[in-house]
Amino acid sequence: MSFQSPQPTQPQIVLSGQGLVKYYGEVVGLAGVDVAVRSGEALAVMGPSGNGKTTLLHVLAGILTPDQGEVWLGGERVDQLNDAARTVLRRRRLGFVFQDNQLLAELPADENVALPLMVDGVSRREAVGRARTMLAQVGLAAEVGRRPGELSGGQAQRVAIARALVGEPQAVFADEPTGALDAATGAQVIDLLVGAATYRGAAVVVVTHDNAVAARCHRVLRIVDGRVSESLGANR
Amino acid sequence: MNPMTDLGLRFVRRPGPGGRAANLAALGATAVVALLVTFLIAGSLGLAHRSDRIGWRSADRADPATAIGAIDQTDRERVDGHPMIRLDLATLHQNELRPPPGLDHTPNAGEVFVSPAVAKHWSSLSKQYGVAQPTGVISDKGLSSPEELIVIRGVASISPDEHPQYVSSWNDDVMDSRMVGLLIAVAFGIILVLFPILSLVGQAAGVAAKRREHRLAALRLAGATRIQVLWLSAVEQAVLGLAGAVIGLVGYTVLTPLIARIPLGGGRWYVHDITASWWNVLIVLAAVPVLSVVSALIGLGRVSITPLGVVRGQTRKATSALRLGLLAIGPIILAAYGMQAAVVPLLIGIGFAALAVRVMGPWAVQLIGKTLANLANGPVALLAGRRLVDDPKGAFRPVAALVLSGFVTGFISVFMPSGDDDPSFQDMRIGVALLLALVFLTVAASTAAGAVGTALDQATPARALRRSGVPLRVIERSSRLAALIPVIGVGLPVVGFGALCGLALSGGKVITEGSSGLFLLIGQVVVGLVLVAVAGTAGAPVLRKASAN
Repeated sequence: MSFQSPQPTQPQIVLSGQGLVKYYGEVVGLAGVDVAVRSGEALAVMGPSGNGKTTLLHVLAGILTPDQGEVWLGGERVDQLNDAARTVLRRRRLGFVFQDNQLLAELPADENVALPLMVDGVSRREAVGRARTMLAQVGLAAEVGRRPGELSGGQAQRVAIARALVGEPQAVFADEPTGALDAATGAQVIDLLVGAATYRGAAVVVVTHDNAVAARCHRVLRIVDGRVSESLGANR
Repeated sequence: MNPMTDLGLRFVRRPGPGGRAANLAALGATAVVALLVTFLIAGSLGLAHRSDRIGWRSADRADPATAIGAIDQTDRERVDGHPMIRLDLATLHQNELRPPPGLDHTPNAGEVFVSPAVAKHWSSLSKQYGVAQPTGVISDKGLSSPEELIVIRGVASISPDEHPQYVSSWNDDVMDSRMVGLLIAVAFGIILVLFPILSLVGQAAGVAAKRREHRLAALRLAGATRIQVLWLSAVEQAVLGLAGAVIGLVGYTVLTPLIARIPLGGGRWYVHDITASWWNVLIVLAAVPVLSVVSALIGLGRVSITPLGVVRGQTRKATSALRLGLLAIGPIILAAYGMQAAVVPLLIGIGFAALAVRVMGPWAVQLIGKTLANLANGPVALLAGRRLVDDPKGAFRPVAALVLSGFVTGFISVFMPSGDDDPSFQDMRIGVALLLALVFLTVAASTAAGAVGTALDQATPARALRRSGVPLRVIERSSRLAALIPVIGVGLPVVGFGALCGLALSGGKVITEGSSGLFLLIGQVVVGLVLVAVAGTAGAPVLRKASAN
């Protein structure tokens, strides 16, 4: 299934980080990064390994808190929230896709997708119904009862995308989402992720080493030594 | 060095993230196994040592016409409020035989030898025995325990009306009757505690089994042969098993003075009675690592056969309901032989019943998990149910010892001795308490190690869930539920099954008088739930840390 991104007209900034600094002991993870992502925009974060890409993603997503700087999501300052509030925020307003999909091996696809909704108090019947609808939208209507071990890598990553989107998030974060896939499957998966998320008006942040993946995003931010070394715009 | 040996040793030295906690849990569980095995061997030998010293007092197999002596003993006398044994000894034919153990010479008529405990109170007995001071004090070599109250009195003769025992030696190697009863009880106890202990061995070898499975499956996929993977695991487990055995032996040695205070079989023990002999140590040093290795290799069969399935987290083969059939074998054997049977068939019957519990446990866990998952409306029950269905063996392993302890208490609840002053009843009561203490120690070690292992196994998906905004409390509650369900859902019926086996053995009669059996069962339930709660407490910080960002 393919999604057409609407051409943004005056899109708002949904997600931003200003002057972000993060230390790991003596090691500098981020050394003052400014970043902003608009609604319906996909941002690729590239750069050498160990230079701060994933740290930036984790800080923007409220998984880590910055030592300096501010993170804003839809008008709310994230970095000052306590751990419990950030947990709720991640669950209700953000979506995540990890490199190795990180699905729960014990649950079938529909329950994996439904889980975040159920955690938020949605009844099982409704959650699973919405999950199946979402799975159908990512082309997995026939696989709803299969467990992750019974799916191909590409299919499992589609389930992860469905899980990330089922809660209608404002922003979706993907850490090397195609790292474990071949080029053709990877291209399909990133198109699906970027297309489906931006179609819904979500901001997308994709950490990747892959130029082909970055080329499918609207903008590219290159991070070297914890700083923005280059910002390239409007691929799409 | 063989590269796989080298790699195995490296995994022990540098176990990687979470591996240290897994290794410590495995080490602790193995140490408890070693301690218990040492105790069971040394304790049994201690009974034999004690019997060797006092067995002559039970001898009665000489012809009165040719016997060198006669003895007559009574425990009706009391000193300082405690029952005291008085043993009258008459030499019938002069002989050059060794004197009774612990005496420097065979007492002549009118001579009185006393144990040190009696010597302290001699002033209150001297008038009764007509001697100001005892002739001698019986040494350790002739006493059952340091505090034994006994007087050995030389007499000229013993009337046949007193029905004396006739002996042909003062050092006959007859087993003391009380010790014989205790040894049989110990044999039953060992069988009853054996399965929880074996479960603990399996648990120690299976701590964080999923984590290890994945590591070894990755090695298989990288080209290692099945034999190489098994060898690596054997090396890793042997080192942990040996280290655990050494710790357990040291622990036993440290605890020996305390263990010696257990008043089983007529008083406290001499420390040297229950000190582990060199061959006892050798057995533990060999058996514990071997058992650990065998358990680990059995658990890894799936990796060596289907590594791809392990890496991809494919569904395990469902356990079959045919396992239920095993439940019938034990009770049938026990009912067929009854309480008059020899020990071995009874042990086989109990063994079969305990084996059936161990084998059908995962099937029951799977069934309960499926039901729970189908009925769940929230994430906690859904996660717990699916987890139980996904790996019922893994879910049952940490609580197998606890469930088997339910079998043990259910079984012995039928045979609880009543409040009688008879020494054999006292031995039974102490024996039951000791057995339960051993079982619960096993259970505590197994459940705690299991909780740590389960937490480590769940760390990766738990980390992803936390990053996605699933609160830690949801993950912890589902883990606790997944641990609690096998205990309640399987453990409680197993208590009933244990009682059923006991009744099968007793021919349907409840030997227990009063409410002691009921207290025992309530105690079992309380201890079980407390242990699961404690284990949850042990696992929670590990899960919290291992799943942290």
